Amino acid sequence: MANELLAFARGPLFYACLTFFLFAMTFRLFRILLMRWQKDRAKPKGSAGWGAVKSFLKAVLIFPFFPGLKGLPQRSTLVYFAGGIFHLSLFLVIFFESAHILVWKELIGLTWDPIPSPIIDGFTAATILALIALAINRMTNPVLRLLSGPASYLNLLFVFIPFTTGFLMVHHLISPYSTVFAVHMLSVDWLLLWIPSSRISHFVFYFFSRAAHGAEYARRHAEP
Amino acid sequence: MKFEPKLEESILAFLHKTKISRRDFLKGCSFLALSLGLDQVEGIAKVAMAIATKPRPPVIWLELQDCAGCSESLTRSQNPLLSQMVLNTISLDYHETLMAPAGIQAEKSRQDTLREYAGKYILVVEGSPSPKDNGIYCTVGGRSNMAILEEAAAGAAVIVAVGNCASFGGIPGASPAPTGGIGVREALPGKTVINIAGCPPIAEAITNTFAYVLVYDRLPRLDELGRPTFVYANTIHDRCIRRSFYDAGKYAMGFDDVRARDGYCLYMLGCKGPTTYNACPTLRWNGGVSYPIQSGHPCLGCSEPHFWDRGSFYAGQSAPLASPSGTIAAIAAGAGAAVGVGSALLARALSARKEKEEKTDGE
Repeated sequence: MANELLAFARGPLFYACLTFFLFAMTFRLFRILLMRWQKDRAKPKGSAGWGAVKSFLKAVLIFPFFPGLKGLPQRSTLVYFAGGIFHLSLFLVIFFESAHILVWKELIGLTWDPIPSPIIDGFTAATILALIALAINRMTNPVLRLLSGPASYLNLLFVFIPFTTGFLMVHHLISPYSTVFAVHMLSVDWLLLWIPSSRISHFVFYFFSRAAHGAEYARRHAEP
Repeated sequence: MKFEPKLEESILAFLHKTKISRRDFLKGCSFLALSLGLDQVEGIAKVAMAIATKPRPPVIWLELQDCAGCSESLTRSQNPLLSQMVLNTISLDYHETLMAPAGIQAEKSRQDTLREYAGKYILVVEGSPSPKDNGIYCTVGGRSNMAILEEAAAGAAVIVAVGNCASFGGIPGASPAPTGGIGVREALPGKTVINIAGCPPIAEAITNTFAYVLVYDRLPRLDELGRPTFVYANTIHDRCIRRSFYDAGKYAMGFDDVRARDGYCLYMLGCKGPTTYNACPTLRWNGGVSYPIQSGHPCLGCSEPHFWDRGSFYAGQSAPLASPSGTIAAIAAGAGAAVGVGSALLARALSARKEKEEKTDGE
């Protein structure tokens, strides 16, 4: 029974969810890109293109790794470190965990060497703890609590489930393996449906918004 | 010479005829006792007593849509005691590959056994039944496989499905399944069927199941798929010889790389061990010599239902099933882009019109 469910979750259901994900993400992207942007009639003071590139590079490669530049840790230590570990290990687990490399191999035909499991394990465990810490922080911080709706907590939960089931599955901490694997795949399938309409979609749109901000700032000669 | 199996004839009497030595007899009993999870002293005595005193069971071995690989596996059992007993019983009674008679004589032999030992014989089925189109895709002696199976099952004391085809449909049941192969359990609703899954099953999985029924006079405990738990309780991965490499994250990335030769885990080469329940790493094959993973090949998952349709053997346990379609992905992304552009242009037009109307109203 568990194997049947697993075959469905990693077979037709996965492809249906992936197809929806591709459709919904490109829909949202073009919907935003072609919005009726307000025209800036002032004479540009700098290159918008270069501003976009500079802002993009700063936001992705410099600010997260040189915290002193923006004073981020001082503003919220927990969010900076827990969020940082979470994003870094999410990237490593998705692209360099052995089982996930097999997924990429099947999807795009390319394969590469995995990061050794003990290292991935450490990142995964840190991520699970980081997610719990971020959830507690969101519930206890008065400002964050005010800003949070149900979707804010669900975003954390829907990422927490595949991470946790993946960890339990790899280490065979809960039997049977097939059942945990099936739950893992179902949670991933659900995430593919959830992402386009949630703030998790920022893993695609963030780069566009950074570029847009950079272009805007450069035109006005402001430093992002 | 026609062999007439007699229920009154004890297994021991039969074994005496084969001139088995006391030493070999006890060795066989010890092996059986340990395979069944019995202790060394009382267990061996129990098995020895059962074999010495109980009548030799008549066995009817039907071959439906099969390749006879399961029979081949049985003949390579490392436990000659039971395999000889089973083989010598069935080979002269009814087994299409191994029996001496052919044609009408063979069919008569089966009919005689069915009549004479009604309610007492063990029915073994190898290969998948094919009920599609009234069973015309598999006929023996002009009769459909389903008619033969139902007739034999009616008077069977125990029904054993040997191999993945008989257990779950196997290769004849794999997509597109032109002959509509199914498992014996599905073909005989309401009947209890022991599934000795595998392609083929390990010989000892077959013989030890017979031994269990013989020693205990009851069916072994079965899992949800009808497989005896004393063989199929653990996954290949649970007992794998390369498990420590998996835990350490050391994987072979190709069949010819140095890591494969050094015995690293074959997970990245498509091993299905984590979801496959079987005793290959413990019972092993060819007299306990080796098993596929030990020999350098990933597990195919052959003791699980529909293993032939669960993606490529080399695609990996975690890979999505079936081939991904780049065309569908491109269509989905293209449709998303088209709908997004259309939606944005419509919103822009509506916004512009609203602005114009507001402007006109203001004037």
